[in-house]
Amino acid sequence: MAPTYTPTDAYPTSTSHIQRETEELLLKHLPLPRNDDTKALYLELHKTKHMQWLVRNLAQGFPARYVSQDASQPWLMFWTLQAFSILGVALDPGNKQRAIDTILTWQHPDGGFGGGPGQAAHLLPTYAAVCALAIAGRPGERGGWDQIDRAKMSQFFISLKQPDGSFLVARHAEVDMRGIYCLLAVATLLDLMTPELVDGTAEFVRSCQTYEGGFASASQPYFGEDGALLKSPKPPLGEAHGGYTFCALASWVLLQPMSDNKLDHINETNLLRWLVQMQGVEIELGGFKGRTNKLVDGCYSWWVGGAFALLEAIHGHHSSSSHDEEKHEDGDAGWVDVDESLFNREALQEYILLAGQHPAGGLRDKPPKSADAYHTLYCLAGLSAAQHRVFPSEHKSKELKSGWKGSDNSTRKKVFTEALCWQEDEAGPVFVGGKANRVNASHPLFNLTVTHSVAIMRYFYGQES
Amino acid sequence: MSLVDRPFYSARPEWKDVEPLEQYENINPLAPILYTDEYKDATNYFRGVVRDGEKSERVLELTEHIIRLNPAHYSAWQYRYETLIALNSPLATELQLMDEIAVKHLKTYQVWHHRRLLLIQLRDPNPELKFIAQSLKADAKNYHTWSYRQWLLAYFNNDDLWSGELDFVDHMVNEDVRNNSAWHHRFFVVFQSGIRDSEKDRERVIKRELIYVKQSISLVPNNASAWNYLRGILDHNKLPYLTVQVFLEAYTLDTPPATGDIVDLENPPPSKEAQLPCPAAIELLADVHELQGAEGVGKAIDLWKSLRDIYDTIRKRYWDHRIKGASHREGV
Repeated sequence: MAPTYTPTDAYPTSTSHIQRETEELLLKHLPLPRNDDTKALYLELHKTKHMQWLVRNLAQGFPARYVSQDASQPWLMFWTLQAFSILGVALDPGNKQRAIDTILTWQHPDGGFGGGPGQAAHLLPTYAAVCALAIAGRPGERGGWDQIDRAKMSQFFISLKQPDGSFLVARHAEVDMRGIYCLLAVATLLDLMTPELVDGTAEFVRSCQTYEGGFASASQPYFGEDGALLKSPKPPLGEAHGGYTFCALASWVLLQPMSDNKLDHINETNLLRWLVQMQGVEIELGGFKGRTNKLVDGCYSWWVGGAFALLEAIHGHHSSSSHDEEKHEDGDAGWVDVDESLFNREALQEYILLAGQHPAGGLRDKPPKSADAYHTLYCLAGLSAAQHRVFPSEHKSKELKSGWKGSDNSTRKKVFTEALCWQEDEAGPVFVGGKANRVNASHPLFNLTVTHSVAIMRYFYGQES
Repeated sequence: MSLVDRPFYSARPEWKDVEPLEQYENINPLAPILYTDEYKDATNYFRGVVRDGEKSERVLELTEHIIRLNPAHYSAWQYRYETLIALNSPLATELQLMDEIAVKHLKTYQVWHHRRLLLIQLRDPNPELKFIAQSLKADAKNYHTWSYRQWLLAYFNNDDLWSGELDFVDHMVNEDVRNNSAWHHRFFVVFQSGIRDSEKDRERVIKRELIYVKQSISLVPNNASAWNYLRGILDHNKLPYLTVQVFLEAYTLDTPPATGDIVDLENPPPSKEAQLPCPAAIELLADVHELQGAEGVGKAIDLWKSLRDIYDTIRKRYWDHRIKGASHREGV
């Protein structure tokens, strides 16, 4: 039976028009009749084509329409390199060196990385550049890792700090949840986390949760007559959104080792409900959307699909804390087992395979759009999140703790172990379209492979074996 | 593609004193962008200017040029702002320029943030409301535009600014009742940005909002935005879900109930064209039952099963998770 259209209650509006158009388009990408033989044909991940598409960008460069990404050159590099990692491909040493040399030209003399040579430092390209170095770089001369000026990067971070615990993304620029995530991810990877740096940040993140359950781009602080920050109101600016929700949730998890457990909690019940509601129905091929009543888009396969693993980390933190039996007011006392099954993994894989792949290579938002570097990575990362279950493991955490070299009670140890205790559930993977479609697992906090995350963190935390 | 027919900076005598700075001098970059000559020329001079620390009128011309070619060039915006301030340039003129540039590039972070910086200096927020409303005509769900409006209201926070907001958002919801950005804005205005004099009677406000959203649901029952708004009202004001049980039930049936002539404002029935049952109503009714002891949990589980097996099969595992969670707690 063909899937049914989203009901319009005989009350069309522009939202329902564009929704119907999209459903009609997606329906054409659904192999009919849906018997197993024809389906298998459609459900192949065209690894070689995507690889060729990525190699072309890397070697020949990006066409002129990518001028709009001129201030995002570290992103183009990261999207490309991480897409390779997920596909299980490594660069040859010569191209690795070129990647490192290119990335280092983006470092700003006053700390942090910019969108290109001579551009101002900005939190977003800083994350992209550091992650690209985690993939391509190494310690030593011209290796990239030792050339990161960490002291200046810390100063750059501090210079962006705001009274409400948030950060500007760059000098004179906006406060934005993406920037908070990028800063915390980099600070975690490079051993730059300090209590002073993140003082008030968790409270800021929490304030961005909207009534829908997802998170907004930022919140607006109010100050009292004495200039002190008020606890409320702190209204979120903008509605719940998939990208900001991922960034907020990842930030929340990254901040856990720094927290003293006295923080108000986020509302996990509403968050989970919102996340599952973002999955499109059968006629939308099970892809994810980024906001209520918007269209499905391949990139949310990672931003929303990837967020489920993060929820699990919050739960893990609860159960390992001394507040085990504490019941939270916001109703998440009923939280039972979070397992891999909270979203429809098979359906998400089908969306990516059927609608996300461009016939000429590369991945995309949805048909008939063309492929681009951003969607190629986030579709592949989303596919990875749908195939694998990566979770914070108590066992691995103990192992890391007992192997720790250095002061025993340090925050650094906590940051290190909580970031690296993620482990793939070997029994978990589900490969729609067959095992040939397998891609590598990606670390839910960084969107790097676990191997790359471990290597760079061991180096910067002085934990190499 | 050139926007205007103008010579390159490298060919202009008045730029002769600036040494252009190439992007990549000593390396062969991986994954480069294949720029147009015009863009390369302009950004080479921009890097030269930044290196020299020059802040002058011609820098304003140069940064405007780059912004028009690539409005996401945040360094050009940053440097432009610092130049405007250094030169003590008339910011009202800058804002006029922004009116034109913003409309062309609504989806760029920087055009909206630059406006914020200007408004903080100019301190004249009221005309902005009209500009924003105009921009929303072109893109009714633009995230930046809505959050800019919310920032403007919250930051300047004067009664004049707030006075027309409920009418405005009502208009936006009427334009497209499925516009979630508009619903979020309503929540922001009514519940989240402090209590203004006109809104002090909270009980009246809550009642008004409940009627508003129920009427909207009765017109278009399958609208996730409205259901989320209803849940938002209940959660935010700590009202029990039970409050809406009577309202919900008609929406969980296969066909609209016969209504007769009695108009119940508190519990408007689904429209004749409604496609029932409505999964969002079933979900909320299950939430109502879940809190009503073992018997209630049993009813909730039946509703979740109907979602899992018939009405919302894509979320099968989530409904299973709810069933498991409730059974576990109640020992059902």
